[in-house]
Amino acid sequence: MGTVLKLPGVCTAGTPGRPKLLPKSRAFPFARVGGKGPGVTARITQVRWSRYGPEYRDPQVDKEHYRKSVDELTEEERYDQELKKTQLIKAAPASRTSSVFEDPLISKFTNMMMKGGNKVLARSLITQTLEAVKRKQFEKYRAASAEERANIERNPYTIFHQALKNCEPVIGLVPILKGGHFYQVPVPLADRRRRFLAMKWMITECRENKHRRTLMPEKLSNELLEAFHNQGPVIKRKHNMHKMAEANRALAHYRWW
Amino acid sequence: MAAPCVSCGRVVSYRLFLGGRVILAQRQGLWKTAAAELQKGAGSQILRLRHTTPVMTKKKIAASRHETYTEDFIKKQIEEFNIGKRHLANMMGEDPETFTQEDIDRAITYLFPSGLFEKRARPVMKHPEQIFPKQRAIQWGEDGRPFHFLFYTGKPSYYSLMHEVYGKLLHIEKRQDQLRARGPLPEKSEASRDLIGSRWLIKEELEEMLVEKLSDQDYTQFIRLLERLLTMPCNTAEEEFVQRFRRSVTIQSKKQLIEPVQYDERGMAFSRSEGKRKTATAEAVVYGQGSGRISINGTDYLLYFPVMQDREQLMFPFHFLDRLGKHDVTCTVSGGGRSAQAGAIRLAVSKALCSFVTEDEVEWMRQAGLLTTDPRVRERKKPGQEGARRKFTWKKR
Repeated sequence: MGTVLKLPGVCTAGTPGRPKLLPKSRAFPFARVGGKGPGVTARITQVRWSRYGPEYRDPQVDKEHYRKSVDELTEEERYDQELKKTQLIKAAPASRTSSVFEDPLISKFTNMMMKGGNKVLARSLITQTLEAVKRKQFEKYRAASAEERANIERNPYTIFHQALKNCEPVIGLVPILKGGHFYQVPVPLADRRRRFLAMKWMITECRENKHRRTLMPEKLSNELLEAFHNQGPVIKRKHNMHKMAEANRALAHYRWW
Repeated sequence: MAAPCVSCGRVVSYRLFLGGRVILAQRQGLWKTAAAELQKGAGSQILRLRHTTPVMTKKKIAASRHETYTEDFIKKQIEEFNIGKRHLANMMGEDPETFTQEDIDRAITYLFPSGLFEKRARPVMKHPEQIFPKQRAIQWGEDGRPFHFLFYTGKPSYYSLMHEVYGKLLHIEKRQDQLRARGPLPEKSEASRDLIGSRWLIKEELEEMLVEKLSDQDYTQFIRLLERLLTMPCNTAEEEFVQRFRRSVTIQSKKQLIEPVQYDERGMAFSRSEGKRKTATAEAVVYGQGSGRISINGTDYLLYFPVMQDREQLMFPFHFLDRLGKHDVTCTVSGGGRSAQAGAIRLAVSKALCSFVTEDEVEWMRQAGLLTTDPRVRERKKPGQEGARRKFTWKKR
């Protein structure tokens, strides 16, 4: 049946999803070779597959993007707009709306805080944290004099963003196997890895190093405010990481990418 | 003498080939086993007589591995198919002149009901072009010399196509040079080609066109060459040549069915539609005029969805279209969990709102992902694993 249109990858009869083509990465290609006898070419079963086919595009939820008139768009944007009309679009996930109050960083942080799928609890903790941050800043504002008042930031979202930005490490360590030993090699980190590490350190710090009786919002708001002023345990951890990278800089040539 | 048994063997094999007017789709497997049996039985004598010209028998040809359908054979199949189609139309009491393929399929499913799950194993009656894979005519003459000069590349049509395209490229470049030699080039604005409404044909379609197996690299090289051709100023003949390799792409928004607006006894405009998410199904009725009241299964939305995230999902389509307090919604929902029900209602409301809104806004909603049914469902647990993905703890011994 050489002329039949065959979809790439393996599709068993009961699972009509499409296997995702794996991106080229340093990591071990996470695919499994299906067990077959000798003399038959082994087919690799794709493990990371999605219910959407590869032709589906991500939805653009921002309302203002569509309200722009045709004259304001550049050539490229006009072409993109025309092209999008022919493409299939995925459904918008349940955590995304066109609301102005939605923040992608806060959503990501909420998901990382979530345990066992309890999004309600995670979201309430974050809202209480932001409220606590705002209250503390307002108290400081009221107690401060006129010159100091200009320097006090009261918007909890800017504090959150700035705190996480201050916690991001610039360089990281990666274990590389050479000559039978694992060496910690300093490596520049991608943006998404840096954001992830900042959030991960913040959450681990708040979960582990707190008194049994303190609640998460209180602890997290304290940590965020300290990180905003470039103080505190998370910033210390970032500096430790930088120092270790500096110490191991002789091994930097072990990196090949 | 091998001749009599060979002839009867041939008749038998042909009877297997032409097994009645209804052709089973699994014939090729049947053939292979029959042919293998015959070959084992009578030895290489049969091989000689099955080919058309005596010269071929001297060489071991790779083509003998594939079933060679001669042209006469295919023509005969087509005649038989047409006669069979007319008989079938008579049997069903319909007009033989206007009997289409869909009618044939319906007639066959009626006359030969099959309980098999695999659709490809059920009885099928299709035009021989669709059943027998396209095969190349014999590419060498009586003296054994191939007709095409690129035969020994293994992919003569592909390489000759590449040569043709490259020839056109060189021709255009030569023309450009001549024009430039005459004087400065006039700034000619190219007519915008419809690059969005069409796409390059995919590798499988190209393979079908050339009747040859291609590799991914061959295909990408070919497409790259065509794109390079498109960057240059082409005349109409070259454009037509390139258009042969493009297929049109549907505009997705046209596929969206917009429910027509209905009117109830009081003259209020309303629109009804359904939505699904995981195992939840919802049916929503959106009224044209209202004050933003949403009632779900008889209760207010504030009581039905105590979680903020679900209420945000209900508001999403209205907020997106700037119609927050302008519609009333009454919906019923069942199945699924809290979030699935909210998603189902969101989809139902978006679809219902399509009837009150312009076409452009429908397209915006589609691009925002409001009109797509979420296909993600719970993945089944597999045997030998603890869950859908989680494996049992690995024990060394």
